[in-house]
Amino acid sequence: MTETWFLAAVWVGLALLAVLIAIKLRISTALTEIVVGTVAQLVFAATIGTAFLGAKQPWIAFLAGAGSIVLTFLAGAELDPVVFRARWKEATAIGLVGFFAPFLGCAAIAHYVLHWPARPAWLAGVALSTTSVAVVYAVMLELGLNKTQFGKAILAACFINDLGTVIALGLIFAPFTVRTLIFVGVSAAVFAILPWLTPRFFQRYSGRVSELEAKYLLLLLFGMGGLATWSGSEAVLPAYMIGMVLAGTVGKDHALVRRLRTLTFGLLTPFYFIRAGSFVSVPALLAAPLTFVVLFFAKSVTKFVGVFPTTKVFRYGKDEAVYTTLLMSTGLTFGTISALFGLSHGIINEAQYSHLVATVIASAVIPTVIANAFFLPRHHLPATLEEEENAPSKPAATADTK
Amino acid sequence: MLKTILAAFDGSDQSRKAFEFAVEVATKFGAKMVVVGVIQLPEPAVSIEIDAMLDRGKTHFAEEFAALAKKLEPLGIAVEWRTAVGHPAEQIVREAEDCHADLIVMGRRGLTRATRWILGSVSERVLRYAHCPVTVVTVVK
Repeated sequence: MTETWFLAAVWVGLALLAVLIAIKLRISTALTEIVVGTVAQLVFAATIGTAFLGAKQPWIAFLAGAGSIVLTFLAGAELDPVVFRARWKEATAIGLVGFFAPFLGCAAIAHYVLHWPARPAWLAGVALSTTSVAVVYAVMLELGLNKTQFGKAILAACFINDLGTVIALGLIFAPFTVRTLIFVGVSAAVFAILPWLTPRFFQRYSGRVSELEAKYLLLLLFGMGGLATWSGSEAVLPAYMIGMVLAGTVGKDHALVRRLRTLTFGLLTPFYFIRAGSFVSVPALLAAPLTFVVLFFAKSVTKFVGVFPTTKVFRYGKDEAVYTTLLMSTGLTFGTISALFGLSHGIINEAQYSHLVATVIASAVIPTVIANAFFLPRHHLPATLEEEENAPSKPAATADTK
Repeated sequence: MLKTILAAFDGSDQSRKAFEFAVEVATKFGAKMVVVGVIQLPEPAVSIEIDAMLDRGKTHFAEEFAALAKKLEPLGIAVEWRTAVGHPAEQIVREAEDCHADLIVMGRRGLTRATRWILGSVSERVLRYAHCPVTVVTVVK
């Protein structure tokens, strides 16, 4: 037990370091945790030993897995069911195209250009098909678009996109046996009953210091997660679906969500992201840098090719169409979950995992960096002022006649 | 004639100095004040962090603004309190345009050259893109 406590101290110490770096550089804690995990594994492997960090230890794997499950649940619970029902056609169309275009395109490029075998190529397609709801939401918040129907429809499309990713992850690599049928059948029943049962159960027993609601949700998530992995699927699939079906009830309970967030953010997700980062091999990345470049452009281009025309079908203006397309080209959480699933199940090797995670991170960071470099307040200046800035200099006489 | 003064506030010593300067100017000109606090989200954002930062940011600014409002009560200045989300420079410029500010008053953090290169300087960006005059208040240590 002594070694376990010391190892736990190392992991929590790394999480603390990641937070300090994130605060200093004003970047996402998830990103710094992945990078810290990568660097820590590199340093420990070179100095103490490859197995020192113990990322494959069962208790670390459990905490990391629990982190990904609860994170996925909370992501699903953010869906706004009212807006989705109001604009489900365009949300579904844009979301599905946003999923299928990069899923099929990146899988094809991984297979035919990078010569990855079929299963790793499909996994690459899944990992690179994601859209970060958080990134989209953050930009919407800045511009006040989260309150508009347009913004809400785009957010709903992102949920559909990620739903496609999660379903693909859960079903493509499943062996399709009797167990799979049992899993699908039980899941369907659970998803149908939960919206009716949960609010009644909470109304009857909630509001106590014993955190009944959190225990109820964790029972669901762990139970369905176990059933999913028993059937050869992935635990985040039912977690996301449970989040979506409970979005109208649990998702609206901000106090409960806040408590779950504290548990997840404070303890679970650091283990998940640091562990995900620890499996990234820097030597593998440096040995084949073009692989990362190919995958990054594959994701960006396929997203654009898929989403941009679809927005035109719904008569989006040019600026809105480009804006929507650019926003849907990122994806950090589900991308790393997909990649880690592939590595854990032997679908991809360490080098392929490293390239996928690097691509997923780049797809979250590079567009943001470019946006920051070019975003500047002049984008929001009145059009007349911008035109005056770009116009060639005029003689003084004509300026007076304006 | 200054009718509306926007003061950017984040709770730092510099922003408090800037706020005091803005109050002094507003008193002399009989201007209205718009005080803006910006919640800056991490990048790239992750859902769980966004919600946590929004919660914490709103609480932080609610408390700070309440304390500032008490100080302004005896002075009889018209004040509007706003909380924005996003990049501080962009939101300050946007809010200034929105409220037709005649002057922006803000503090300066005094970053090192390296940090300024990595993070950028909010005050420099606002100076560059604001539609109105900008006063940057520096705290001399």
